[in-house]
Amino acid sequence: MQRRTFLGLLGAAGMGAAVTKTVQAAGVKHFEGYPDSYGVLFDATRCIGCRSCEAGCNQINGLPAPEKPFDDLSVLEKKRRTTAKAFTVVNRFDQIPGVAGAVFRKDQCQHCLEPACASACFVAAFTKTPQGAVIWDESVCVGCRYCMIACPFEIPTYEYDEPLTPRVMKCHMCHPHITSGKATVPGCVGACPTEALVYGKRTDLLAIARQRFAAFPDRYINHIYGEREMGGTNWLYISGVPFRYIGLREDLGVTPAPELTSGALAAVPIISAAWPVLLTGIYAINKRREKLASQEKKQAVAEALAKAKAQAKEELEKALAKAEAEKKSAIEREVKKALEEAAKAQAEAAAGKGQTEEGE
Amino acid sequence: MDKKRPIWRWAGIVVLGLWCLGGLAWAEQVESKAAMVGKPDQITIRTLAAFQKLELPPVTYFHDKHTAALAKENKGCDTCHYQEGDRLSFAFQRRQTTKPDEIQDLYHSNCIGCHNDYVAAGKKSGPQDGFCRACHNAAASPTVARLDAGMDKVLHYRHLASKNIVGRDKEMENCSACHHVLDPATKKLVYAKGQEGSCRYCHQEEGRPGMPSLQAAAHEQCLNCHRNLANRGLQTAMPLDCAACHGAEAQAQLAQKQQELVAKLPGGDIPRLPRGQPNATLVRYEGKANGGTAGQEASLPPVPFNHQAHEKYTDSCRVCHHASMESCSTCHTRGGSDKGGFVTFEQAMHRRTAEASCIGCHQAQQEQANCAGCHNLIVQARPANQAQCQLCHMPGASGAAASPQQKAALAESLLQSRRPGPDPFLTAKLPDKVVIKELSKKFQPVALDHAKHLSALQNGMKDSKLAGYFHSLPGTVCQACHHNSPAAKEPPACVACHAKTQGVASLVAAAEISRPGLQAAYHGQCMSCHKDMGLKPVATACIECHQKKPQHAALSHQEKE
Repeated sequence: MQRRTFLGLLGAAGMGAAVTKTVQAAGVKHFEGYPDSYGVLFDATRCIGCRSCEAGCNQINGLPAPEKPFDDLSVLEKKRRTTAKAFTVVNRFDQIPGVAGAVFRKDQCQHCLEPACASACFVAAFTKTPQGAVIWDESVCVGCRYCMIACPFEIPTYEYDEPLTPRVMKCHMCHPHITSGKATVPGCVGACPTEALVYGKRTDLLAIARQRFAAFPDRYINHIYGEREMGGTNWLYISGVPFRYIGLREDLGVTPAPELTSGALAAVPIISAAWPVLLTGIYAINKRREKLASQEKKQAVAEALAKAKAQAKEELEKALAKAEAEKKSAIEREVKKALEEAAKAQAEAAAGKGQTEEGE
Repeated sequence: MDKKRPIWRWAGIVVLGLWCLGGLAWAEQVESKAAMVGKPDQITIRTLAAFQKLELPPVTYFHDKHTAALAKENKGCDTCHYQEGDRLSFAFQRRQTTKPDEIQDLYHSNCIGCHNDYVAAGKKSGPQDGFCRACHNAAASPTVARLDAGMDKVLHYRHLASKNIVGRDKEMENCSACHHVLDPATKKLVYAKGQEGSCRYCHQEEGRPGMPSLQAAAHEQCLNCHRNLANRGLQTAMPLDCAACHGAEAQAQLAQKQQELVAKLPGGDIPRLPRGQPNATLVRYEGKANGGTAGQEASLPPVPFNHQAHEKYTDSCRVCHHASMESCSTCHTRGGSDKGGFVTFEQAMHRRTAEASCIGCHQAQQEQANCAGCHNLIVQARPANQAQCQLCHMPGASGAAASPQQKAALAESLLQSRRPGPDPFLTAKLPDKVVIKELSKKFQPVALDHAKHLSALQNGMKDSKLAGYFHSLPGTVCQACHHNSPAAKEPPACVACHAKTQGVASLVAAAEISRPGLQAAYHGQCMSCHKDMGLKPVATACIECHQKKPQHAALSHQEKE
């Protein structure tokens, strides 16, 4: 690559970056979640790990029967993830420093205030409802599974064993059942025997969590997980042990995923439009530059050739003239020589006559 | 040919890298093995750190290892420690801390010199010249397994009763051998009878000029006395090496031995300390600073305090008298003072999180399994009601008593009057069984054995004077389950407050405490009490409380599908 070309590309890239920056600055606005949206508060100090929530979810959503029945607690020996057939799972966490027994945590979609899955979905299949749930429209889903990669909680799953119409599956906080009037609270919440799960307005849940902290200061870690994590979620957790010990990431930060990606993603159309123009321009400029250079070169060669030709001609003419002159002088010399010889012969002949006359 | 060379070079680098990693892993393994065996005699020598930044890591030194090695040669403590009269200086080869250069030379020439001598004599020895990192090896040192070697009240009694201990003057009692104060006139340590206190009141974690640290003072006092008694040929076990006081094994043995010893004593317990403390006293604000007059609140009378009983419950005086033997209100004034860390007198008695406060110590007792079942259900940060306040602040304890004798007499008479009769609520006719039908759609009704639960609670507290007195308000025991409403012979049913909702966040107003639904209220109370008291059934064993319904048995989760 020529230096000039490289600098040209660099300039174009810089312009692209500048475009991104302005887009990001313009695209971010502060969003605190829908007012009066609903959520669930999970209290790890109340969860007994009975799997009733799993059964409740399975029942209300008509999911297939699990491999092991819900009253078989041996499944808790291994850490499990949500699957296309189980929107929620309970996990047991042992050997937590300073805790004698086990602590349990239920896992399901956290229903982020600003969901990463929705921002990653390029067909906009996901919707954050004003009621709090993150739902999706499987009729527009193209099966790219970007949502599964985007989710920091590893929640959306895929029907890999469905050959013709595989769907992305996850917890929808029983949004369809609650809006249709089939249930008043999500299936898992209604099934929990200890109210380790309570369903209500997110603002109320935050207040309830703080009440529990105030009533039992020694029992709880004074933090509501999900109040600010990933920009806030509608599913909230409180616990007596640090959240990392019950499998919740503490490294997620408080910035919603879309805020991190919206700038870059919003810049995509602009960049996808700008780059071809820029690159074509650079190409054209370089092409023209190359064309001019080749023209100049051709001209120079032609000039040089003409010059050489002229020079050769001149030299030839000179040589020819010289040869002519030489020829002429040679003729003259020969003529002269012949004449001299002739004159000499004449003289000798005259002198010989005189001698012979004398000698006789 | 040239093209192949880089491949060989890379292979070489990879092999070298793997070898290094392997070596590191091995070293780590060795290190972690070493780290597992911590020893109580491990000392980290970092004397120079007080003067300058250390050039090399501090030295890890095993004291008992050296004592044992010297003992084999019939060499004693004075090999390394200077002796003056019958007392050793417990700094290495010196009496006082001098200049850093001198200290460095002292250690290097004496440690290495001694090691060299042993090697020259053909004996096994420690690191010599040039092996700097063999001693300066802080990174490789294992974790120290040294426990605090405090004196509990039985060990204290044994020292007090020992016939071998000689007082400061021959005629003085044993107390004078250890307890001392500095006489400002003569600048000498003297015994002040009746003023004995914890060593820690003066000798603190860090020493200062003229006041050795607790460690230095304890070693100077204990070890010199033990050594002198041993030198006199006494055979009784008087610990001299580190592990004998600071080792876990030795401490366990000591505890066992003392337990047996106490059992043999008349009355099965050690006698009270002879320091002239009262049997009972009135606890009240004695100071006059920061407003108010001592003992003038008619509404909140002083607290009669059974000092004698509390001596039994605690391990030493400093559990309550945590900083000095002076009156609490010397430092904990009304409004607080700098000296008392701005902990007011009221807080010093009531702060829930303080170990030395009345309430703090009493609440700590509630963590026992017998107590935790009920007490873990009670909101921790709750205001007390007047009846509860009056259990301590007994009406009738007027502020008239001025002299210590009067205070003691009044307190004793008040304590005598504390003879709670039987709880009238518990003598009434109570149900034997309570049938709970809350989940009767799914299971058979639960027949709760009310009588059994009540007797379990009563049995759990019958040996505790603390529980006996503080549960003496009528209906207190009932309120373990029938909570948050005034005690009554017929308390409201659970469903009166707990709605039959399931998982609904029932927060009507921000100030209202959210209540669980009925099912969660039952489960929360039963399960958490059983768990905290370590009782069966476990929370997930549904059918141990809820018998299966015959028709429901065919409707387990799996068969619903």
